[in-house]
Amino acid sequence: MEREASELFEEFKELTASEFFRRNKQMLGFSGKIRSLTMVFHELITNSFDAAEEAGIQPEISIDLKRVDKDHYILKHKDNGPGIPENYITKVYCTMFAGSKFRNIQSRGQQGLGCSGCVLLSQMTTGKPARVISGYKKGDVIKGVEMTFKMDVKTNKGLILNKKKVDVDSTGVAIELQFKDVSYSLSEQGAFEYIRRSMIANPHAKVTFRDPTGQLFIFHRATEIIPPLPKEVLPHPKGVTADDLIFMAKHTDKRRFRSLLTSSLSRMSTKRVNEIEEITKIDLNKRPKDMKWEEAEQIVELFAQMDFMAPPTSGLIPIGKEQIEKGIREILDPEFVATTTRKPRTYRGGVSFIIEAGIAYGGNSGRVIGDQKRSEIMRFANRVPLSFDQGSCALTEALKSIDWKRYGIRDIENTPITVFVNIVSTNVPYLSTGKQSVAPEDEILHEVRQATMKIARSLQKYLNAKRAAKEEEMRSKIFETYVPVILKEAAILSGRDVPEYDYILAKVTRRPKILEEIDNETLQELTNDNMVGDKDDE
Amino acid sequence: MTSRKEHSLKRRDLAVNKLTSLGDRIIEDVAKQTVPAIRVPSRGTSNIVYDEDRRYYVLGDRYGQRSLGNVKQIKKIGQMVYMANFCKGLVQTGKTATLREMYYVSEGWDIDFGDQQESNIVGEDLEVTLGITREDLGLMPEEDGASVYGDITLKDDDVEINAMRMGKSGYTISPTIDEVELLDHNVERVIAVETMGMFHRMVQENAYKKFNTLIVGLKGQAARATRRFLKRVNEELGLPVYICNDGDPWGFHIAMVIISGSAKLAHVNHELATPNAKFLGVTASDIVNYDLPTDPLKDIDVLRLKELYKDPRYRDEFWKVEIKKMLKIGKKAEQQSFSKYGLEYVVDTYIPEKLDSL
Repeated sequence: MEREASELFEEFKELTASEFFRRNKQMLGFSGKIRSLTMVFHELITNSFDAAEEAGIQPEISIDLKRVDKDHYILKHKDNGPGIPENYITKVYCTMFAGSKFRNIQSRGQQGLGCSGCVLLSQMTTGKPARVISGYKKGDVIKGVEMTFKMDVKTNKGLILNKKKVDVDSTGVAIELQFKDVSYSLSEQGAFEYIRRSMIANPHAKVTFRDPTGQLFIFHRATEIIPPLPKEVLPHPKGVTADDLIFMAKHTDKRRFRSLLTSSLSRMSTKRVNEIEEITKIDLNKRPKDMKWEEAEQIVELFAQMDFMAPPTSGLIPIGKEQIEKGIREILDPEFVATTTRKPRTYRGGVSFIIEAGIAYGGNSGRVIGDQKRSEIMRFANRVPLSFDQGSCALTEALKSIDWKRYGIRDIENTPITVFVNIVSTNVPYLSTGKQSVAPEDEILHEVRQATMKIARSLQKYLNAKRAAKEEEMRSKIFETYVPVILKEAAILSGRDVPEYDYILAKVTRRPKILEEIDNETLQELTNDNMVGDKDDE
Repeated sequence: MTSRKEHSLKRRDLAVNKLTSLGDRIIEDVAKQTVPAIRVPSRGTSNIVYDEDRRYYVLGDRYGQRSLGNVKQIKKIGQMVYMANFCKGLVQTGKTATLREMYYVSEGWDIDFGDQQESNIVGEDLEVTLGITREDLGLMPEEDGASVYGDITLKDDDVEINAMRMGKSGYTISPTIDEVELLDHNVERVIAVETMGMFHRMVQENAYKKFNTLIVGLKGQAARATRRFLKRVNEELGLPVYICNDGDPWGFHIAMVIISGSAKLAHVNHELATPNAKFLGVTASDIVNYDLPTDPLKDIDVLRLKELYKDPRYRDEFWKVEIKKMLKIGKKAEQQSFSKYGLEYVVDTYIPEKLDSL
C-alpha cells in the first residue's frame, strides 16, 4: 500500500544532542567497560583542573571509587575549584555543547560534551540521578547548594529532583555518580594509570584516590607553580577554510571585508591585504556580508601560495622541562631523568605546536609485565594522557623509528625506561573523534624524534658513566682480592715474610683513599648534571 | 760420570731454586715499591724459529708480561705463583702429579682455573719462564712412553730392569724416565718403528740379535718420555738411532718430531730433540724400488706433504726429493706392506739394505 509523503513525515523527528549521544555513546569515548570508566575520570579530572587554573587556584582533587557489584560502581569526585553558581549547575552537567571552550585556544577539554557525557552515561546504565554539592563565592560570602537531578534527553536540559542550601567550608564542586557496565582496571588503559600519568603532566596538582579495595593513594604536588592561562590567538591564514571566512563574515561587526581580514587573522597586514586585492581583483572594501563563497575560496587558495610569518606562539603554554622533571621524579622516582621542551614549530604551514619529551630510567620507570620490566611510552596532548590507540599515533611512530642502539640501549623493549611525550597546540591534529591518537604530520614526527634523541644522548652519557664506574669498582675489587693472596703465596714460595704492600695495592688500584671520595663526588655531579637535558641547541 | 741419582738430585735442586727465585722476584719488587711483573717468553707461532745450528725449533726473544698491575694479567700471575708453590712441594718430596691431578688440587686455591686447558697453559708458562721442563717440575704426562726390547739394563729407584727379560712386549718407558739411570747395555744401535705390529714382527724375527739393536715401538706420535729416552740413549750411550715408519706424510713427521722437535714444545726442544737420529724409511723411493702395495694419496695427504715441503725442518735435499717423488707417484705405503714378499722380508732384506745404504 502506498503512503503519502505527509504521512511518512509524521515520523520525522528532531534529535537533541543528548538524544543523539544517548544512541551513539561510543562517540563520547564510552566504548568498552575499561575505556568508559577511564573516560569518566578523564572528563571529571580535566574539568576540575581547568576550573581551578582559570580561578588561579592550585588544583586539588579527591576521588573515591566504591564497588557495589560486578561492573557497578559509585564514584565521588570532589575538587577545590571556584565552584558552579546554582543557576549553572544543570547547564554544566545536563546540556550538551555548552561551555567556554569554543575558541581558538589551547585547552585540555573536548567539545563541551565532557561532564554532561558522564551524567548521561550514569543515567543510561543505572537510571540513578546525579548528586552535586557546589560551593561558590558570591561577593565575600561562600554559598553552598546541594542538588539531585536527571538529564532530560528529549530537551537537552536538566530535571531538578531535589535542591537545598547547605553549609560549605570552601569553594569547589563534589559530584556523585553511579555507573554500571564499567570496569576498574590497573592496565595501561585503566583509570588508575590515567591518574598516574595525569600527575606527571600536571605536577602542580594534588590528587587523593581511594580505589575499590579501599586503598588510599596520595599523589603529592611536585611544584607550587600554577601554569599560566593560555591566551586565545587569532587563526593563521594558512589554517582557515573558505567556510571559516564566510562564518567570520557573517558574525563580524566590521564594515569592510578588508578590516575583517586584518582583525580576525594573525599575521595579516594591510600590505598583504593589498596584495590579495591586486591578485584576485576582488573588491575588499565591500561589506563582509556581501562576500561570495567563490571569492572566499579564491582567497583561501591564495593564502596557501603566499608567505606569512609563522603563527604567534604566545598562545602555547608548555609544561616546561623543569616541571616535567618534577612530575616524573614525584611519580616514577627514577634513577635518571632528562627532559626537554622544544621551540614552537608549525605544521601544515599555519598551526603552531610545541613538543616536550622526557626520559626516565630505573626506579619505577617502565611497566612491570610478569616478572620483567618493559619500556613504556606515555603520550600526552595539552597535558592530557592519551590512553588509547597507541599503535596508530604519530608520537608512537616517531619514538619507534629511533635507533635506540645508537644511544647504548641494546634492547629498548626490555629496558626499564619511560618515555614521555607531550604535544602542545591550539589545534592538535587528532586522527579520529576519540581524540586518542595524533596524525602523522611530518613536522610533528620530526620534532618528536629530535626532542627524544636529544635527551636519549643525556641518558647514554649517564649509562656510560654508570657502566664505567661499575667496571672501575670491579677492577678495584679484583686487585683488592688477588694482591694479598698472591703476595702471601709468593712469600711462601720464596721462604720470606710478606712485605708491606699497601703502597703497591694503592698503585695498582689507582685509588688512594682521598681519590676514592673525589671519584664518588664527580660521579654524583655527572648524575645531577644530566637530570635535566642541556639547553636547546638548535 | 755422576750417578743418575746425583744427577737427578742436582736437577731437583735446580728446579727448587728456580721456583724459589720466582717468589723472590715478586717479593723484592714489592719491597722496592715497584709493581711486580713476570716476563714470559711468547709461544705464539711468530716467536717460534728454527735454529739452523742446533737443528731444532727454539723460542725467539719475544716476551709477554704477567703484571700484578694489570687486571687481565693479575689472575695469571696468581695462578703461576700457586702452581709454583705446588710444584716446589712435589719436587721437594720427590713426588709427581699429572696435569689432571694438579687441576683438581687447584680447586682448593684462592685463585683457581676455569678449566684444565687453562691450567695446562699456565703450566707451560711456568716451563718457559723458568726454562725447565714440566717433568722437572714434577708434572707428568698421563700416558706411558714407547715399548723397548733389547739388551739394555736400567735402574728405576732401586730396581734393576733388563729390557730383554720383560716378556715379548718389552719395557715400557716410564713418564719419569729422567729419574731412571741407564746402567748397562750390549747393543750397537736403536731402531724405532711406528707401529706395535712392526715392533712384534721385529721381536719375532730376532731383529735385535741380527742387528744387535734395541727395538722401540713408538705407538704413533712419540710421547715426551719416548723422545727423552731416545735422546738420552743417543747422547749418553752414543748409540745411533734409526726410525722406520709408514711411507706417508704422517710417518715422515713422526720421525721429524723425534729428530728436530715440535714447534709447540719449542721451549723444551733442547731436552727432547735428537738431531742425530736418522730416518730409515719407508721413503717414496722405497715404494718404487721395492714395488710395494700402495694406497692412493688422499687430498689431506697431499695438503700435508705440501706443508712439509715448506717446513724448514725438511730443507735437506733428501727430504725435498722424497716429498716431490711421493707427490709425483701419488701413492703411499705402510710398513707392513713388505709382507707381500713374506713376513721375514723386512728383517732379512729391507732393513739390512737400508742400514748399509745410510
